[in-house]
Amino acid sequence: MKDQVGGNQKRARFQALCQSLRPDLLRFAFWLSRDRALAEDVVQETMLRAWKAQDSLLDEAAAKPWFLTIIRREYARSFERKRFVTVDVDELVAREEPMLAAGEEQDLMELRTALLKLPDEYREPLVMQVLMGFSTAEIARELELSTAAVLTRLFRARKQLRVLCGEDTRLDPQE
Amino acid sequence: MSDCEALRRALLADPRDPDPRWSEHRASCQECNQFAERLLRLESRLDRALRVTLPPPAAAAAPGAAGQSTDAAAPHSARVVPLRPKARRTVTRLPAYRKSWLAMAASVVLACVVAGALWLSVPGPSLAADVVTHMREEPQAWRRTDVPVPSAALQEVLRDSHLRLAVGTDVVSYASSCSFRGHQVPHLVMQTESGPVTVMVLVHDHVPKTVRFDEQGYRGVIVPVTGHGSLAVLTRGADTDIKTVERIAARVQASIVWTG
Repeated sequence: MKDQVGGNQKRARFQALCQSLRPDLLRFAFWLSRDRALAEDVVQETMLRAWKAQDSLLDEAAAKPWFLTIIRREYARSFERKRFVTVDVDELVAREEPMLAAGEEQDLMELRTALLKLPDEYREPLVMQVLMGFSTAEIARELELSTAAVLTRLFRARKQLRVLCGEDTRLDPQE
Repeated sequence: MSDCEALRRALLADPRDPDPRWSEHRASCQECNQFAERLLRLESRLDRALRVTLPPPAAAAAPGAAGQSTDAAAPHSARVVPLRPKARRTVTRLPAYRKSWLAMAASVVLACVVAGALWLSVPGPSLAADVVTHMREEPQAWRRTDVPVPSAALQEVLRDSHLRLAVGTDVVSYASSCSFRGHQVPHLVMQTESGPVTVMVLVHDHVPKTVRFDEQGYRGVIVPVTGHGSLAVLTRGADTDIKTVERIAARVQASIVWTG
């Protein structure tokens, strides 16, 4: 009885954790794949794998990187199952309009379009830092890069983003 | 590499880099200060841009959703294979004395099921638990610093919740518009005499009276705000007692000017 209640409590906690993290995981998957339907599939598979492997999550504080690792693996697996074609960003923006729409805020829409244009290797660490709140060291660990390499990618990501958004970049340092 | 170039490189890699060298340099270099402010404004917009509108959640958004069995409750369960095969039912004839024992056992099981159902019917995670969970998602916000967020960025975060902060409030070192329980809410960190204090303005969440909580390393209060939901104010660690948190919460509440 005690074990059953303990198990139920644990499951309920895990379920609450999944629900609280799901929105940002879905957003992360979207920016990773630039495809809403694929992002939903990836997160769904991630949740299922996480549910099966919940005993391996020893510290709830580490849940976010734990889920993120599963998402990235699941996204990589999706390439094994399906061959993706290169998509024009304008077509992509039109297709994902419901997710990218920012109401009255035209500048947000422009920023989102610029984000979609960033190369994957710059967009991913940027999303991990800004949306997921990862430190440089955590990003480095997740992407299996050196800290210096992550900082360079983040530097280039923002630099390119500023150019794409038509910001004044005269004070930006050179490469 | 000059200090200006080093600072700008560092800020482009991480605009919230807390290195004290940069705040010193910014104080003495107007051009770099303007550069940093522009970048922080972009950062605030970037944070909002990344929080794209999500499609409405499906019925079973998380595994094990309430009201469903563990096996069937995986997300979007139509595509999910049960984790365990169902046990096959077998019918066996039993002697009478074993039937009475079985009846007793069945009543015990029934009692367990009823108790379990009652336990499961307890409401989901509380508002305080959700606030604490959210804190764990943004650990970078808890930095101790004297560098305020640019006022334009702060105003942008507060604008949608129809409020502003009165002049003379504690330094706000972090301001972000965060997704919380399906709404965008202001998440601020103020530098007080007791260290960094997080404030979340929860205009969509109402509490009938002040809720105190102390869980998972966070101590705080959620206070009702008439006509504007509630205000969560919390500290990290055990250094600040709850009375102090309540005093800070009252001060924060008094500093809020509702504009709508």
